[in-house]
Amino acid sequence: MLSDYVFIGLFAIVAAIFPFAGFAVSYLVRPKRPDPVKSDVYECGMKPIGEAWVQFKVQYYLYALIFVIFDVMSVFLFPWAVAYHTLGLYALVEMCIFLGILVGGLIYAWRKGALRWV
Amino acid sequence: MIPLHWFLIVAAALFCIGLYGVLSRRNAVGILMGIELMLNAVNVNLVAFWRYLDPLESLGQVFVLFVLAVAAAEAAVGLALIIAIYRNRDTIIVEDIDLMKW
Amino acid sequence: MTTRTPFLFLPQLILLLTTLVVFGIELVPGDERRRKDWLPAIALTGLGGAAMAIIFLWSRTTTPPAGSILAGMIVVDRFALFFQILAVTTTALVVLLSTDYMRDRTPDQGEFYGLLLIVCLAITLVVAAADLLMVYVGIELLSLTSYVLTGYLREDRKSTEAGIKYFLFGATASAAMLYGMSLFYGATRTTNLAAIATALSEAENSLRGLVIPAAVFLLAGFGFKIAAVPFHQWAPDAYEGAPTPITAFLSVGPKTAGFAVLVRVFLIALPNFYPDWMALLSSISIITMIVSNLVAIFQTNVKRMMAYSSISHAGYILIGIVCWGRGGFGGSFEGISGVLIYLLAYLFTNVGAFAVITAFEEATGSSRIEDYAGLVSRSPALAWAMLVFLFSLAGIPGTGGFIGKLYVFGAAIQARAYTLAVVGIITSVIAAFYYLNLLRYVFFQPPTENPKSITLSATAKITLIVTCVLTLAIGLYAQPFLQLAQASANLW
Repeated sequence: MLSDYVFIGLFAIVAAIFPFAGFAVSYLVRPKRPDPVKSDVYECGMKPIGEAWVQFKVQYYLYALIFVIFDVMSVFLFPWAVAYHTLGLYALVEMCIFLGILVGGLIYAWRKGALRWV
Repeated sequence: MIPLHWFLIVAAALFCIGLYGVLSRRNAVGILMGIELMLNAVNVNLVAFWRYLDPLESLGQVFVLFVLAVAAAEAAVGLALIIAIYRNRDTIIVEDIDLMKW
Repeated sequence: MTTRTPFLFLPQLILLLTTLVVFGIELVPGDERRRKDWLPAIALTGLGGAAMAIIFLWSRTTTPPAGSILAGMIVVDRFALFFQILAVTTTALVVLLSTDYMRDRTPDQGEFYGLLLIVCLAITLVVAAADLLMVYVGIELLSLTSYVLTGYLREDRKSTEAGIKYFLFGATASAAMLYGMSLFYGATRTTNLAAIATALSEAENSLRGLVIPAAVFLLAGFGFKIAAVPFHQWAPDAYEGAPTPITAFLSVGPKTAGFAVLVRVFLIALPNFYPDWMALLSSISIITMIVSNLVAIFQTNVKRMMAYSSISHAGYILIGIVCWGRGGFGGSFEGISGVLIYLLAYLFTNVGAFAVITAFEEATGSSRIEDYAGLVSRSPALAWAMLVFLFSLAGIPGTGGFIGKLYVFGAAIQARAYTLAVVGIITSVIAAFYYLNLLRYVFFQPPTENPKSITLSATAKITLIVTCVLTLAIGLYAQPFLQLAQASANLW
């Protein structure tokens, strides 16, 4: 029983070493030509504009809200899928109703303009 | 094998941390995170009880699935309310939301 | 009688279909203004259909064996059906109140009525729940929709504030309740209420240390729903900030649901622990009666005053639950039927009082107590209706509130719980003080500024007449209502 945890411990150690090893190796093999521009902050190759702590558009939240609902509802699909063969037609119909309600919600959100990016 | 009560202690600690967050946080989102911690403590409890006491039935797991789903709906409603209040107050610090007091 | 009795689910199906229709109409492009008049009518039709289905089921249900559906999650007995009829009636009255109030305050009419129907559906599920899982899901559905309805007026600062306070308190309380449920699962390996009782009676004392804390956690969630004192802080703010018809709903709907769940869980799952939860509930009841009535005296906003009033009524109703069976069954004052008759009278009285408050707010835009000065000269009908409702809330003979109080206090005296009865009667006298103070403004104070007379809309008139007549009917001719309550109070 305890030996099962040896793998986890081993894995944790390797995971901890891995990034440091990467940095160390690249430090050893790379050429060194320091330049002040290199240590500058950058975003996608452009000069940064404004602060990093900006307010995000509230629209992102709307997407996040819709995502959270549908994301978690998929949790009910897994046990259904696993036990599908033993459940039969009744469960299939039931799952269709369940998904139908979810799709109804999605259509509602869509028609209400929650998915439109403004 | 790890004894059952270790899990229960972790769950109780998680619940207390969540409750402490709810009571001490000033930011409404922070409070919401505290509530989520409390719900996760319940999930740890349920899964541990299921695994140790009742592994042949699926009741404990089913309960956890429902808790997860309801927690997501709760988070959605909570965030929506927080957005609504931010839009007409420019703050989500609960101490500043004080139009009504007894 | 398991899954093959779909007609036991008929009320819920009707409510669900109506909800879908209401939401569906919202999606059809077309004339906004005409639609606004249609939506309440559709909602009322659905509620009427559900009410007929419930009454049909009530008449068909014989007393001990009830049908259970959804794999034992829901039990259809007369107790549940009684509470379902309360829920449907409340929702219908609130829809009537909302037609005028909400028309100009929000563009999203369809969602408002849709959410109201969902709350009603949630209550019909909660009151029939025979399993902790169903209790949890039902209470959450009920809570989440009430949070949204409380904060429904997005532009209104008070409404959103009320919504978020209600949410933060409610989510914490339900998390605590859920923790209690997980402990019950751990103690008994089941979540079915009857099975919990069996498991606990087999191993009563060894599990004591786990069951009592679990019951306390559960009580946090239920206490929040019924707004009893240590868990009441949300109520004044939510009541004051919510749209007034929703305040009327909050003061009745979630409270009745909370009481139904409380009675069912504690009586069915924990009968062996009666001495323990009896002590807990009676102390909560006493604190609730004292604190709420004392604080209510100092309120200047009528919605806030009514919030404390509604908290105090939770205290009175708890007396009935505490004294449910001491002194033997079959006594003339049986606690649970006292609870039912109290809630029935309280429904019509409180919704009626809020109908007056809504009509007054529509006309004057105010809910401050001092603005009620001289209401009798501005609208005699409103003033006299308010008199009936406040008399009933104070428990003056001839009104429904008196019958309710008579039965719960009677149950307390019969069970020799004299402390509860005495505290109840003393605090009722204190309560009469602030109710009569409002009436003093209504009848004897001269109006402050230009007293324009108030005209009532048709829906307001209907609501007022229905609630007024029933409040008086329960008070003056209580017999049929008592029989209804006694026939429904049988849980076994």
